[in-house]
Amino acid sequence: MRGWFVVLGLATLFTHLLPLSAMSRPWATPDLMLGFAFAWSVRKPVYVPVILLGLMLLLSDLLLQRPPGLWAFLGLLCCENLQSRAKRLRASNFAAEWATVIALLVGTTILYRIILAILLVEQPNLGSQLIQTITTILYYPVIVFATHVLMGVRKGVPGDMDARGGRI
Amino acid sequence: MANNRSNNQDYTRPLRRLILVVVSLVLLATFLVWRIDSPRVERFRAQVTDRIVPNFDWAMAPVTGTVNLFRDYQSYNRIAEQNQELRRELRKMQSWKEAALQLEQENARLLDLNSVRLDPRLTFITGVVLADSGSPFRQSVLLNVGARDGLVDGWATMDGIGLVGRISGVAKNTSRVILLTDASSRIPVTIQPSGQRAIVAGDNSAAPPIDFIESPDLVRPGDRVVSSGDGAVFPAGLVIGQVAADPGGRLRVRLAADYERLKFLRVLRSHPTEPVTDTANILTANDGKPAPENGEEVPASE
Repeated sequence: MRGWFVVLGLATLFTHLLPLSAMSRPWATPDLMLGFAFAWSVRKPVYVPVILLGLMLLLSDLLLQRPPGLWAFLGLLCCENLQSRAKRLRASNFAAEWATVIALLVGTTILYRIILAILLVEQPNLGSQLIQTITTILYYPVIVFATHVLMGVRKGVPGDMDARGGRI
Repeated sequence: MANNRSNNQDYTRPLRRLILVVVSLVLLATFLVWRIDSPRVERFRAQVTDRIVPNFDWAMAPVTGTVNLFRDYQSYNRIAEQNQELRRELRKMQSWKEAALQLEQENARLLDLNSVRLDPRLTFITGVVLADSGSPFRQSVLLNVGARDGLVDGWATMDGIGLVGRISGVAKNTSRVILLTDASSRIPVTIQPSGQRAIVAGDNSAAPPIDFIESPDLVRPGDRVVSSGDGAVFPAGLVIGQVAADPGGRLRVRLAADYERLKFLRVLRSHPTEPVTDTANILTANDGKPAPENGEEVPASE
């Protein structure tokens, strides 16, 4: 299953890189990689180990022309936070999960801009970044649906065993 | 292995934490190194792109083709009215063609009289667009020609009609073209026929605004915008587009290049630019002779 996360990550990068049109669009595409990382972190933390997550996020930073490392670092912290809450979120419903994800995404975006501002890095304009955050939030249920139904990555239920027969 | 797993978990947790800290530090270090020594990391980024994106190519071509097929299908719906429109335009074009032919003959005669030798060094390499920037905040495309084909940073890139952007970042097999619409793109231009010098500054919108026009009232929507060759950024006289005014009254360029369908781009081999060795004297590089100021008394031969 860990291999599948790599495949999924490359597939999302692939969709971002498709040379369909070089026109600048008023709307911004959602950050699918981060969305999937969140959804998988809540459901099956064992499928997204830290090293793998770090590598994939760094790769997407490099390929999508972002300042390399920072967005990956913040995304990694969010995923870690979600993984530590996974047990609690497992018991609650989707609304609670969505609310957590929204809080994390908004916080991350603000922190990202503050850090870039402090280090005097040229920033993407506020409008499209806000739109990207919002579209990522709106796409999150779709991402979760795909994760749950199409890929079969579900939350653990009491009594689940991992591959070697241990509790998770 | 088979003994108590809950014990095992107690061992793995600190290890996990350690890995998290190490990975976070590596990511942060990458960011800081990028901030301090950006060119080195950008070269690394170009190499990573060079290794990965060409592998996507076999899949990208069919997917892009299919999507474009569907888009084209939508436009077939209006084919009848398009046909009418094209006929009308064709009729208009024919009169223009006559005019153009006459002008061409006249031009050939005049060139002959002057025995002008056109610059033989302005040749080009054609490349295919591999991928776009993938990010809504950056306007760039990736070409399948690179250092292997002799590309150098800073060369101008055109589609069949107009200027598209400049090469920025060359790896072995690929190179990145920063489009004119990117927020970091600044191109010195001349606006014809008034001859005003200005700068086309990308701002992530489809029509980049024109900055630093000396007397904006001399410039009208519909004027031609061509590259001016100032600062040896680009060869002079490359077509960029037409002036248009947006609803706020700001002057923008409607680009001549078809950004909707960038597929084949030609990269113009420019003359080697002056190597900058002294940071203080960049502005007066052409020794002694003062650099032409904002285009007031620039001789026509410029």
